[in-house]
Amino acid sequence: MQLIVTAINKAYSSVQAVKNVSFHINSGEIFALLGPNGAGKSSIIRMLVGMTKPDSGSIMISYQSQHYDHVPRRLLGYLPEDRGLYPDKSIEKNLLYLAQLHGLSKNKALSEMEYWLDVFELTARRHDELKQLSKGNQQKVQLIAAVLHQPALVILDEPFSGLDPINQEKVVLFLQQLKAKGMTVILSAHQMAMVEKLADHMLLMAQGQVVLAGTLQQIQQQSQNQRQMKVGFSSEVNLAQLEQLDAIVSVQQLQARHYLLTLAEQASVSDALKQLLQYGELTLVEMQSADLHQLYLAAMARHKPEVAL
Amino acid sequence: MISRQSLIVARWEFLRFFKWKQQLVSYLLMLAVIAAIALWSFFTDESQQQYRIAVPQELQITNTEQFQFQRPGIALETQLMQMQSDDSWHAVISLQDGQLIVHTLTGKKWLQQLDEVLQKYYRHLAAQQMGLDGAQLLALEQPVQIETRYLDQAYKGKDTPEKMIAIGALILLFVGLSTAFGQVLVSITGEKQQRVTEQLYAIVTPQQWMDGKVLGHSFSALKAMLTSALVMLLSFAVVSLFAKKTVDLSWLDISVVLWLIPFALLGVVLCASFMGAIAASIDDPNNSGKSAVMMITWLPMILTFIVIDSPAGMGMTLLSFIPLTSFAAMPVKMAMVTVPWWQPLLSLLLLLATVYWMRRVAGRVFLRGMQMYGKEPSWGDIVRWALSNKAE
Repeated sequence: MQLIVTAINKAYSSVQAVKNVSFHINSGEIFALLGPNGAGKSSIIRMLVGMTKPDSGSIMISYQSQHYDHVPRRLLGYLPEDRGLYPDKSIEKNLLYLAQLHGLSKNKALSEMEYWLDVFELTARRHDELKQLSKGNQQKVQLIAAVLHQPALVILDEPFSGLDPINQEKVVLFLQQLKAKGMTVILSAHQMAMVEKLADHMLLMAQGQVVLAGTLQQIQQQSQNQRQMKVGFSSEVNLAQLEQLDAIVSVQQLQARHYLLTLAEQASVSDALKQLLQYGELTLVEMQSADLHQLYLAAMARHKPEVAL
Repeated sequence: MISRQSLIVARWEFLRFFKWKQQLVSYLLMLAVIAAIALWSFFTDESQQQYRIAVPQELQITNTEQFQFQRPGIALETQLMQMQSDDSWHAVISLQDGQLIVHTLTGKKWLQQLDEVLQKYYRHLAAQQMGLDGAQLLALEQPVQIETRYLDQAYKGKDTPEKMIAIGALILLFVGLSTAFGQVLVSITGEKQQRVTEQLYAIVTPQQWMDGKVLGHSFSALKAMLTSALVMLLSFAVVSLFAKKTVDLSWLDISVVLWLIPFALLGVVLCASFMGAIAASIDDPNNSGKSAVMMITWLPMILTFIVIDSPAGMGMTLLSFIPLTSFAAMPVKMAMVTVPWWQPLLSLLLLLATVYWMRRVAGRVFLRGMQMYGKEPSWGDIVRWALSNKAE
């Protein structure tokens, strides 16, 4: 399976939700859409699911030598941002209903359901009504509903939201299982630590536009000018004074007398060290490679909405 | 053609609202209430009892099975005191300036029967004073027999059993559409509020989803109509057994009933599709006035009822061909007037075409409404979608 999205645009009334976005996803990949609220992630997902159509651009999917200009429903498993199943029906009835709508026979649906309920440790509660479950467990049922029919493409809008750290880890394992089963996964998320562990490719978005795209390594390379240095002083230093230095863009205090500094684009490390030594003896100097969270924040900072005057 | 997915949705919707235990209990309760009313009427029938009535000496009224007229020869005040203190009299009658006055403790049903007996006595008295004999008086009291003969051979007559079937059909349609009204509204707006629709959209097309909803709730409506018809027949049988000791169902014209079925079926599907379209356009049922519009589906029955006494008139003819009203009007017309074979057939075909169009409209409204994400479409939007030919 291959999904190719080319220069799609989407506007709602006067708001341009998606601006000229392109990407492609190969079979068996986990692809992450990242960005703050309103970045355009859900708009892209709704176009992929077919709920809306792009104003311009194209969405092409190839599957088993067949080419489509939209994602066929039979290939799709979907977890919407707005969750919801039938609260007064049992887990089993909810899942069987959706599986049968997907075209599964009752026996096949039952065996798939039993497998996933076991993965999420919900087997003992299969006859419980959905409203009796915690929010986290309801979300697990919804995740199962999205993959019960073994779709080629699984689209998960915010799969980690509303889950505690333990359940977030379970979802990471779940997504790895989907990948192992050969399914292609597109997810949108805010949880960078989770995405870093999982995603083969990612797209960072702001205000409907692509800010950064590629693998984690490619994104780090694209952001190489965003060098960071961890330093320690033998005595307390004034934070505001450090921020005034030409070689430093931003300062974040990590603990007592320890700081994370972002270097200015043109400044060399030796320039920065010379300037820092004016304020005291250095006990620690360590170059940092920015993690996804830091890259994400830095990228978002560069794309802050312009204030209309 | 109905897809497999639509049938799965229809089954789910039908079973979702099919609470057979609750329905059985409610029907048993209804039968128990009818039986209790019949028993109460039977055991409290005042015409079976005897009443002692005190009358003045000069009133030579003869006793009946129900009323014993006695002339006590004591003062009126004493009679009234006796009536209040013990059961000596059920009523005391006095004459004052030629006016007959009935004294009694409180209002009772048997007082109407006493009134009739007294009226009859006074008519006889007046006839005797005018010199009329018994036969002449009987002739005067006999009601005039008037027979109406209709030149229109197709008209089956007024107040016939067929008319009862027609009214019964209208009542059953009310029952069916009321059931569909509640279920369609709860099901569609509830699903939107529980955020199930977006999940379902990724699995089935809006048209498959809407077809399933319409079918499922139409089956529920037909089930309600069928069970109500059975309860009505059962109640009729119980009452007949009490009153006449026999059950006569010869008035039930099977040919009319057979025509009723396709019209009722298509009528319910048409109305459920319309209700589905309106419900799909509602974002929040608590803050939308659109649900009231769904009651328009009751209008065909009301209009048909208005013209029911002129089954061959222009009004009924128009209603029986307009597809939005024909499902109610044509069976009623057929029950009361013999119509050429092509009329119900043409009416049925027009209705079928309208059902097809309406289900497409409902599918389109659901799709477009969902794409508005929480914003409720205006009536202008809905009309535009209804008239457009674009599906997905």
